[in-house]
Amino acid sequence: MSDTPGSSNIAQKGYKRLLPIGRTTRRSVLFADRAADAIIKVGGLLVILAVFGILAFLAKEAMPLFYGGSLQSQKSFVLPAKPEMIWSSADEYQTIGLRISSNGRVESFHVDTGTPLANYELDFQGDTATAIGATVNRSDLVFGFSDGSVRFGRVALDTEILKGDAMPSGLTALGAEDYTDGSVVYRRIAGNQIRRMSVSANVRPPQQVADDGVAIKAIGFTVGGTVERPTTSYVSVDANGVGRLSRSETRINLMTRAETVSTRSSALPPLPAGTVVEKVLLSPQADQVYVGVADGTVHRFDTRDFDKPVLAETSKLTPDGAELGVLGFMIGGQTLFVGGTDGSLRMYFRLQPENPGTVDGYKMVLARELEKQPAAIISYAVSQRGKSLVTADAGGNVWFRHATSEQTLLKLKQSEAPKDGQIQAMLMPRDDGAMIINTSGVADLWKFYVPHPETTWRAIFGKLWYEGYSEPSYTWQSSSGTDVFEPKFSLVPLIFGTLKATVYSLMFAIPISLLAAIYTSEFVHRSVRATVKPLMEMMESLPTVVLGFIAALILAPLVESWIAAVLLGFIALPLGLMIAAHLWQMLPPAMALKLNGLPKFALMFIVIAVSTWLAYLLGPWFENTLFSGDFKAWTNRDVGSGVPFMGLVLWPLTFLGLTMLFNRTVGTTYRMHVRGLSREAAGRIDGARWLSMAVLSGLASFGIALLLDIGGFDPRGGVVDTYIQRNALVVGMVMGFAIIPNIYTLAEDALNSVPSHLRAASLAAGATPWQTAIWVVLPTAMSGVFAAVMIGMGRAVGETMIVVMAAGNTPVLDWNIFNGLRTLSANIAVELPEAVIGGTLYRMLFLAALALFVITFVINTGAEVIRQRFRKRAFQL
Amino acid sequence: MEAKLEGKRVRRFTADLSAVGEPALWAFGGALALGIILICGFLFMIFWNGMVTFWPKPIEVVTLNSGEVVAGEPTRTNVFRPAANLLEDLSPELRSAIAANDGLVSRTLFRTGNYDLYNEDFRWLTEFDIKSVERPTDMFFLERQEWGPFIGRIKSLVINGVETDPQALGVSGIRAEQQAARARFDEIRRIERSEIGVVNHEINRERLATRRIELSDGVESQAYRDQVVASQARIADLEKTFQTLQARANEIKEQDRSFRIILEDVNGRAKEAQLSQIVRFYAANDLGLFQKLGVYLSRWNEFLTSEPREANTEGGILPAIFGTVVMTLMMVILVAPFGVITALYLREYAKQGRLVAMVRIAVNNLAGVPSIVYGVFGLGFFAYAVGGGIDALFFPERLPSPTFGTGGILWAALTLSLLTVPVVIVAAEEALSAVPRSIREGSLACGASKWQTIRSIVLPHAMPGIMTGLILAMARGAGEVAPLMLVGVVKLAPELPVDSLFPYVHLERSFMHLGFHIFDVGFQSRNSEAGKPMVFVTTLLLLALIVMMNSAAIYVRNNLKKKFAGSQF
Repeated sequence: MSDTPGSSNIAQKGYKRLLPIGRTTRRSVLFADRAADAIIKVGGLLVILAVFGILAFLAKEAMPLFYGGSLQSQKSFVLPAKPEMIWSSADEYQTIGLRISSNGRVESFHVDTGTPLANYELDFQGDTATAIGATVNRSDLVFGFSDGSVRFGRVALDTEILKGDAMPSGLTALGAEDYTDGSVVYRRIAGNQIRRMSVSANVRPPQQVADDGVAIKAIGFTVGGTVERPTTSYVSVDANGVGRLSRSETRINLMTRAETVSTRSSALPPLPAGTVVEKVLLSPQADQVYVGVADGTVHRFDTRDFDKPVLAETSKLTPDGAELGVLGFMIGGQTLFVGGTDGSLRMYFRLQPENPGTVDGYKMVLARELEKQPAAIISYAVSQRGKSLVTADAGGNVWFRHATSEQTLLKLKQSEAPKDGQIQAMLMPRDDGAMIINTSGVADLWKFYVPHPETTWRAIFGKLWYEGYSEPSYTWQSSSGTDVFEPKFSLVPLIFGTLKATVYSLMFAIPISLLAAIYTSEFVHRSVRATVKPLMEMMESLPTVVLGFIAALILAPLVESWIAAVLLGFIALPLGLMIAAHLWQMLPPAMALKLNGLPKFALMFIVIAVSTWLAYLLGPWFENTLFSGDFKAWTNRDVGSGVPFMGLVLWPLTFLGLTMLFNRTVGTTYRMHVRGLSREAAGRIDGARWLSMAVLSGLASFGIALLLDIGGFDPRGGVVDTYIQRNALVVGMVMGFAIIPNIYTLAEDALNSVPSHLRAASLAAGATPWQTAIWVVLPTAMSGVFAAVMIGMGRAVGETMIVVMAAGNTPVLDWNIFNGLRTLSANIAVELPEAVIGGTLYRMLFLAALALFVITFVINTGAEVIRQRFRKRAFQL
Repeated sequence: MEAKLEGKRVRRFTADLSAVGEPALWAFGGALALGIILICGFLFMIFWNGMVTFWPKPIEVVTLNSGEVVAGEPTRTNVFRPAANLLEDLSPELRSAIAANDGLVSRTLFRTGNYDLYNEDFRWLTEFDIKSVERPTDMFFLERQEWGPFIGRIKSLVINGVETDPQALGVSGIRAEQQAARARFDEIRRIERSEIGVVNHEINRERLATRRIELSDGVESQAYRDQVVASQARIADLEKTFQTLQARANEIKEQDRSFRIILEDVNGRAKEAQLSQIVRFYAANDLGLFQKLGVYLSRWNEFLTSEPREANTEGGILPAIFGTVVMTLMMVILVAPFGVITALYLREYAKQGRLVAMVRIAVNNLAGVPSIVYGVFGLGFFAYAVGGGIDALFFPERLPSPTFGTGGILWAALTLSLLTVPVVIVAAEEALSAVPRSIREGSLACGASKWQTIRSIVLPHAMPGIMTGLILAMARGAGEVAPLMLVGVVKLAPELPVDSLFPYVHLERSFMHLGFHIFDVGFQSRNSEAGKPMVFVTTLLLLALIVMMNSAAIYVRNNLKKKFAGSQF
């Protein structure tokens, strides 16, 4: 029917119209179409975006690890000039700052605005402090005086949280959020509460240490003991160059609350005459005294025997030509750092090297040399919570750095370079700011944000020299029981563990899955394939938590008690199959042909069962003969020699070598001879050949092992070492079992998609099925098979539950198959639930997840590209 | 002449063994056989261990050479190599006998129970320690609400305060009393858990409502004052209800206390317990086949329908089954539309080119990205970022304790749907591409719009493939544990994510999961030996669930393929 005026006439006459004239589609249909269009487009794009958003989000969470630090604000204000200033401090909220003068005057001021607050007096009874020592928290102080006496003091900033309605009236405002009554500062904080900050300052009566009238030149101290019986140890050097180690014990009488202080002293061995002592330090355990001399030499005294200190070591710690600027400890007292007048900053560990050349067997070892500052280092402040520090030089440069990662986080500049070199540097207790006051009263204040000072690319992927370690190492240790613990975040042991688990599981999975795939695709009947393939596919979605449970609670103890039988099984299974194959060759051709299908396959099952059974029976014998009856003791090198094991390892290699030698020399002649015989006779001859070669290569390998042993080589100590129950062998077996179905199905698919006309052509040209499979099908499908292995590898890399449960989770760097491991994925699963949001560990674990994502994505993409190329090629054939 | 001869001889070469490659074939076939043996052995081990766990075992009373008497269920026997110091204590004959056996000795693990008396559940007995073994018929196996099983004799019973001879009552009489006591126990539990639970829930809601108004209007507002007055009245009412319920529970408890059972272990050490604490008991050595079957079935029943006790190592796993099923269903509801829409977009709407091919490869590979990575993302993005935002906006009254800002079933389902969406996309795309072009063109030629074509022609044809993909995604999701450990699975969730309290579905709640249950019981319980049977049964259940889903996928694929095979052009 055409669209002519005639047809409309018909319509008008009341005929039923078959098609609408205008051919308009119903509105609802159009609307639905457009809506579906929009929804599908937007939805599809969103899902794709969301999936890639994962990558972006992980990266976003991990990125802050690599930000050095950012300066939030910089301020400076002028306080009254105070040439005799000897100390400064501030509270952790950066509210009240204070400075102490040598006459005992404590002046407090408001940190944000520089407004002076109340002053306090430490009662020095008119004396002038000539030396000061302090603990890391900057509030416990010890002063040395010109008359040879010592006073302990405490200048603390106290915090109190009050209820929201407890703000006193009549306060003056300080800056935006603080209020003061002149001495106390109040600040409103979240949750309708008020924080009250105040200063407390007191000093104890003097104790005479040096000879009367001889000024104390330097002092260092440390606090120990218990709350009821605090002990304070301190070391002092007087103007005559005499060093003394003193220990004060305070006893509090429980009845009267009265304190009694008893002090004992012992003299340090004298230093050479004319030594100008600049600084003394006492280690937190009070067992080492370091005396810094102006020329950069440091004398180390061993004071473990309090009454008899020994000069243990003297060495120059500053670089040549530089003199001593500053000398100090990082928190924990294990790192000694020395700042030179040339701007250098070196860090030393006290270690026990091979040839220390010192009295006590320890030596100060240069562990790190940080970036050099432009001018002489004159002041420093160390972090109260981590391994950061601030160093200030004579040119007005203030650098904020991290000791372990050796990075300079921020380079700041004072508003006015110090004229007389007398400045007080202060790092805020939360590592979020620094304050420098000089004698003319100019105070510089920086607020900065350095969330992760300890992480750099080098810290994560390179070797770092941590405190307490004898050399730089790759270490992952995110938490520990002690307070002064420094978390160590190297991903290398985890990546290594991932690699180790992957390699061992692939060593187990690849032979089984690929050989099985070839056999399924080329040599078995369709019906067998039709049952085996779905079984394998179903195993792909087996929950790995089940495998992990089996691995850890069933297999690991079983392998541990039957380790010899398991090892024997690795030999017995291939050996049994080979023997069976050679026996099969001796069958008359007619019979062999008749039994070729399912019966032969069934026979293989029987051979495997028998070999396993034999391995089980002979296990104890095997252990007794080759491993002196105790395999685990053998791996520890407690018993036996490495010869038998090495011989076994070398056996397949020598066999291979011998076979190659045979083929190169008499192989052709032999084949020419044998092919003329009857099948049975050829089988017998070939069996004899194989047997003699196996025995011969066995003897040869044991001979080589013996030679190696005489040459001093022992297989124990590398891939084979101390046995631990949850180990890489168990992980390899179970994870291998988990990835067998993946590799198998994909490889089988690849082999199966080789066009059948290739096979037909090969067979028609007279090739045997074996020749067809190996020389025609396998090369064609090679890239697909390779892709299958890569996908299996990708799965092994990311597998979590098996390794969490069965790998022992020790982050170690060794290939020992009998030791545990820790993978990236297991590490995330174990540590993320406890990680603090936004903390360094949290972000490190995001980085680990990102690394895992990238690794598997690259592997899988590679495999996919190869696979698609293979597909294209297979279709073109 | 010579060449001709050569040619003739070639045909007689019948034994070129290298052409047949027999040894290599055996290696190939052996690998396949080994793979099949491993898989079947694995499945059989799970099946066997899972099935026999609940079968009642006999109790053996073992007299040791030292004169000590031990009673317990023999669980398994293995051989071990005794340490040197252990060997020194033995007689020379025993030593030589052991040496003759390659230095190996057999030992049996006995489940002795009575943890409250012995501080251990299991005990190894070596063969040379054992003097005699017998199976007396008066030994009972009693499963208790707490402290694990008790193995011993029933000495006496106190029924309603009156001491009764168990002989006179007989096993059936004791059982009747125990059933009655259990009924009381369940009643107390019902009152305390559900009725008092509802009251507590209401009181808590009142408090939160007050806090909400305090936060929005301030303490000084009229609304806040009104609310305080109103809610105090309501809370007082609720507390009155609470008191009545509590009184009723106490009354039953008081009554329950006069029904007691006095047990003694094999050495005569007595232990008294409330009868209601006995979950199940049987004379282990005096059971007929049907009685054994009865015990077996009742244990299965308890396993499938009740809550766990004894730190998950005993009792049932209903919450875990429920959690797994609800989470998986939520995941499918989330993943199905998105997966299909994406596949439709990629296959039907996007311009096929390099970019789409790359996207396709990327999506394909996302299926291979480790599940733990999705877990990390789920925790960081869903729980902390999105959940934290939701808390700040909608639940400020509950802060600082998080509502959505921590792991929960919604986040778990979302995480797993991200994890499985590539599976669905790939399967759905494959299914869509298998729909013949001719049908599509036919439909369009008949005047159908693009959406009409997709809806009524393409999608129905692709349905089998899409369904297969979805079921496979479900199977994968149900078996994943690693990401769930980060986004909301817990070892014990007293509250199910779906219950009778408003709003009925609690998406923010954490939940129990079969896979995590395996991990938890196997690795984090007091005694992994005691938990092992439970783990096997749970494993069996999880495996059965997944095998069922996979089989369903295969069935659907085959069945629907057949159905549509005829309708294709």
